[in-house]
Order: sequence, then C-alpha cells, then structure tokens
Amino acid sequence: MIHRSELTSAYLDGELTASEHTELAEHLSGCGKCSAEMEQLQRVRSAVRSLPVLELPAGIVPEADPVVVPLRRQKGLWTGVAAAVVATVIAVAALVTPDPGPVSVDELSSRFGARVSLDPAFGPAKVVIPPSGVVGE
Amino acid sequence: MESIPLTWEEVARVYGRKIYNFAYRLTGNPDDAHDLVQEVLLRVRRGLASYQPGSFEGWLWRITRNAFLDDIRKRNRRPTTPLPDEVDRWGRASSESADVEYARISLGDDIQKALLQLPIDFREAVVLCDVVGLSYEEIALAAAIPIGTVRSRIHRGRRMLKELLA
Repeated sequence: MIHRSELTSAYLDGELTASEHTELAEHLSGCGKCSAEMEQLQRVRSAVRSLPVLELPAGIVPEADPVVVPLRRQKGLWTGVAAAVVATVIAVAALVTPDPGPVSVDELSSRFGARVSLDPAFGPAKVVIPPSGVVGE
Repeated sequence: MESIPLTWEEVARVYGRKIYNFAYRLTGNPDDAHDLVQEVLLRVRRGLASYQPGSFEGWLWRITRNAFLDDIRKRNRRPTTPLPDEVDRWGRASSESADVEYARISLGDDIQKALLQLPIDFREAVVLCDVVGLSYEEIALAAAIPIGTVRSRIHRGRRMLKELLA
C-alpha cells in the first residue's frame, strides 16, 4: 500500500485538488497508520491556531500627520481644503517672517507646496492649488 | 482584499495586529516583534508610492518576511529568549493587567517554544498558514516559492511540531 501521509496537512487545510481529496479519503478509510497521523497533525494544527492573539502594543504605530493624511483620502473634497491650508501656511509664513524682502507669493507657494507634495514618505499625495472659482470641484 | 489601502496608517490599522502576531510567533520576543512591525510599516510607507495594483496581501507579506529575514541576517542570532523573562514588558502596552497577559502568553508557551525550534522556512510557512491565516497560494506569493513547496514545508513543519510536543 502506498501511504499518502504527505497529503494530510493539505487535506486538513482544504488545499487538495478534488481528485487528491477523493484519493486520500479512500486511502484513509482503509489505513489506520495514515488516519492516526492525520489525527495527530490535526491536534498540532489546532494547537497552533489556538495560540492567543496578541494585541498590538500601544505606540507601535507612529502618529499620523494631521495635514497630509486627509489630503489623500478624498481628492475632490480635500483639494479645496488643501489649498486653504497651504494658503494659510503661506499667509502665516508671510506674516511671521521678519523683513521678507521681495519674496513673491508664487515663490512662497511653490516652496511650501513642494514641501508637502514632494515628500516621498507620503506617497503619491499631490497638493493642487486650483485656479480661483473651482475650489472644491 | 485587493483594493489598495490609501495610506500606510490604514495598513497599520488593518494589518498591524496580524503583522505583530506573525513577528511575535516567529521571534518569540516582544521587543523584536515590536521592532519588526515598525520596520514593516516604514517599508510600507516608502513602498506605497510605487505600489502597482495587484495582490496587496502578497505584497505586504513579502515586505514583512523580507524585513524579518533581513533582521535575522543582520543580527545572525537565534531568537530564543525565554518568554517568562519578557512578561513584565507587556505591562506598558496592554490594557489588561500583567497577570492576565502572562496567563495568555503562558497558555501557548509550549507551542511557542516548539515553533522556535523549527527551521526558519518551516516555521514561517506554519505561522503564515496557522497564525496569519493565509492560503497556500498567498504564502507561495509572499515567499516566492511554488505551491508544492508551501505544502511540503507546512506538512514537515507540523510533523516536527508533533514530535516536539509529544
């Protein structure tokens, strides 16, 4: 008799093909050795599967960035908000920068906009400043 | 399962616990598991930008196992820290008391010790199947091996566990 014990784990996992399943089921009905082995493997499988599920320790996930995260969720809605945030940042920066000299808004915009949109750590997020009149398209 | 999480924070929220359990069962050490989860999330964060639509789970678990294997190569040490010595470190993180957490860990202590004695390939296959709950196909994808090899590693891993736990 050719024992088929190498199929027993996949049998327990429901990972045999239909023909292998039939073949093994027939074999098991007449083979005490393979039946006993499968029973033992079933116990091992259950034991590993019954290991307690451990909770994720607190603080393991770094804090989300409050500005960048919403931008990536809903592009249409948040594009407008993004533009507003960027505009605010620019405005505040312009206010708090002592003697900014002849720095144009365009220059600040590109400087701050680029910092957000080109940060590779945050993936494909893009901060788009829409032309006036289409905010929140 | 095939949709792409939009942010790495969502990946952390949806898969963090699974990654942690995978890491813990492979290393047997909460600190190593902690470090591995952070490393995986870092790689996910970097990788999402260039992620090509496909099997997200396959991609994620490939990153996870690669991070684990890189760590092993880097340290070249056997992760066999006895569990009871690590227990009080859990107090900081869990909402449960240290005693309750200790009881939860002790429950699987023999199995955990036996797992740590398996060769790494077999341990990984068994953990991905029985702890994480991946199909053979998903494990094959994550580990870049044929399904027949997955089948054989899980079977041989379980037979070794059977001997170790006898």
